[in-house]
Amino acid sequence: MTIREKGYSGWDGELRRGRGRWLPIFRQGIRSVFRKKYAKLVFALCSSTFVVFLAAIYIATKPELKMMAELVRMFSSDAAIFNTFYTNGFHFWMLIILSLFSGAELIADDLKFKSFSLYFARPLRKVDYLLGKLSIVYFYLLLFTLAPGVLLVLAKIIFAGSFSLQPRLLAGILLFPLLAALTMSLLALAVSSLSTSSKLTRVFIFLVYMFGNSLAEILKHVFGSDWFYLFSLQKTVEQLGVFFFGSKTGWAYPPWVAAAEMLLLSALFAFILMRRVRIAEA
Amino acid sequence: MEIIRLEQIAFSYGPVQALCDVSLNLEEGVFGLLGPNGAGKTTLIKVLLGFLKPAAGSGNILGTSLANESKHFRFDIGYMPESDSLIPGLDAVSLTAYLGELSGMPRNEAIKRAHEVLYYVGLDESRYRQVHTYSTGMKQRLKLAQALVHDPQLLLLDEPTSGMDPQGRKDMLELIHDISRKRSMSIIISSHLLADVESTCEQALIMAKGRIIARETIAHIDRAEYTPLEIKVTGEESRFFAALESRQWRIEAGERGLWRIFLPRHEPTGILFRLALDCGVQIRHFRQSRTTLEDVFMRALGENDDH
Repeated sequence: MTIREKGYSGWDGELRRGRGRWLPIFRQGIRSVFRKKYAKLVFALCSSTFVVFLAAIYIATKPELKMMAELVRMFSSDAAIFNTFYTNGFHFWMLIILSLFSGAELIADDLKFKSFSLYFARPLRKVDYLLGKLSIVYFYLLLFTLAPGVLLVLAKIIFAGSFSLQPRLLAGILLFPLLAALTMSLLALAVSSLSTSSKLTRVFIFLVYMFGNSLAEILKHVFGSDWFYLFSLQKTVEQLGVFFFGSKTGWAYPPWVAAAEMLLLSALFAFILMRRVRIAEA
Repeated sequence: MEIIRLEQIAFSYGPVQALCDVSLNLEEGVFGLLGPNGAGKTTLIKVLLGFLKPAAGSGNILGTSLANESKHFRFDIGYMPESDSLIPGLDAVSLTAYLGELSGMPRNEAIKRAHEVLYYVGLDESRYRQVHTYSTGMKQRLKLAQALVHDPQLLLLDEPTSGMDPQGRKDMLELIHDISRKRSMSIIISSHLLADVESTCEQALIMAKGRIIARETIAHIDRAEYTPLEIKVTGEESRFFAALESRQWRIEAGERGLWRIFLPRHEPTGILFRLALDCGVQIRHFRQSRTTLEDVFMRALGENDDH
């Protein structure tokens, strides 16, 4: 070792002792996900729905384009545009891929590499740690739901030349992605906290969605009740769209039940996370 | 300045009592925490870090109560864990700077300081390597660097030389010795290697069965109340040793027929030769040895077992 000619020297700076201790975790996580292999491919696929809807909104505002009359009729209602944008199957599955791409290893790797003792030797509380980790998945999910949703509103205003959105619809455009992304982020993190293998976590997150869908369909066909669609997160998200955008199509149960289910699931996943992190910290 | 004050701390893992009525008062300095496996060393460190909430008792770390929910005392603590703790996907600079940021350092300062501490611990040439590719010795150095990055007031080192080769171990002990020269940083080293503690610490705290059973100043160990002697005898050994035991002197069997006699300091060594003469034995080997931390450690453990 040739490096200690000068001996140990201290640091004269001032530590920040205020709030926002989770922010370094958020910043580091955003960078890590962005640098991942295939990140650009996943982001491009997640953005594809936005590009399609941007084109659709443009066409819908131009009734003179007769060859697109069917599309113009389908997108005649703003609520229908945003409901379809947020709840269409392709976009939903891309968001699942994004959630497992950005969230599967966030806690699983910390468990595997015993990073908790490094984190919690710092002035971090469990809630700071979880907030930091959650904000990473939440950020990326909102980047491909809320951000394009807002951009579509702007595009609609630009293409139509006037602002004609209802306040309720605007609230729906903002609140729908906030709630749906929160539940999906918490689910990804909760599953991530259950295993030390990020590969297993990815498979498990995927299975949660697949199994939920299959179970809901089987029970619906056996008993003939739409209530069984509550087992499917995808169907619940579709019904949440009905709740926020007031669409006439939907399942035969009150739309507010979907919103309540999403809130309950979020609370359940948050509880699992707090418990798992408490055990791991000790 | 008082850095740690613990009063009757108790903690148990279910039915297993890991800490029992631990009371401790530490001023600034370098302390070694010694004890056999299961003595409660790691549990005590976890309590000091606030990872574990004591079932009973109270304490202060750097003037802040252990019960402080926001864990403010951790701003001024650096911790080097025993396990191979890493944050994967990062190089050493990013990891050290990241943990500096989590300790409250501004980002630019944390990056600058990360380079400094990595240079200090000898990882300057491999600081841009992914940390999961590091060898055990490099990981130990990295763990020390991340503990130092925010220049804490209290450094907790859990088995700092664990898994290191002899040269690496020597380097690590030199680093700890160098850091300890900066008097504003207190250090607690938990180790099962007595030599590590003896060479770096000012005081040794010996733990057994969840209690602190002895506290010795390393500089005073040589001035203990007994003189250890190493002898080899031939002849009527049993009579000779019975005579020693009747005086209640401690005797330990060593290797290759050697015996260690702990002679009370007020007794002249010549008395041993007189006794040998009386008992008809010859002393074929005689050497006065230094009292080591191992003697103190073994004696403390022995006394604790007697109780």
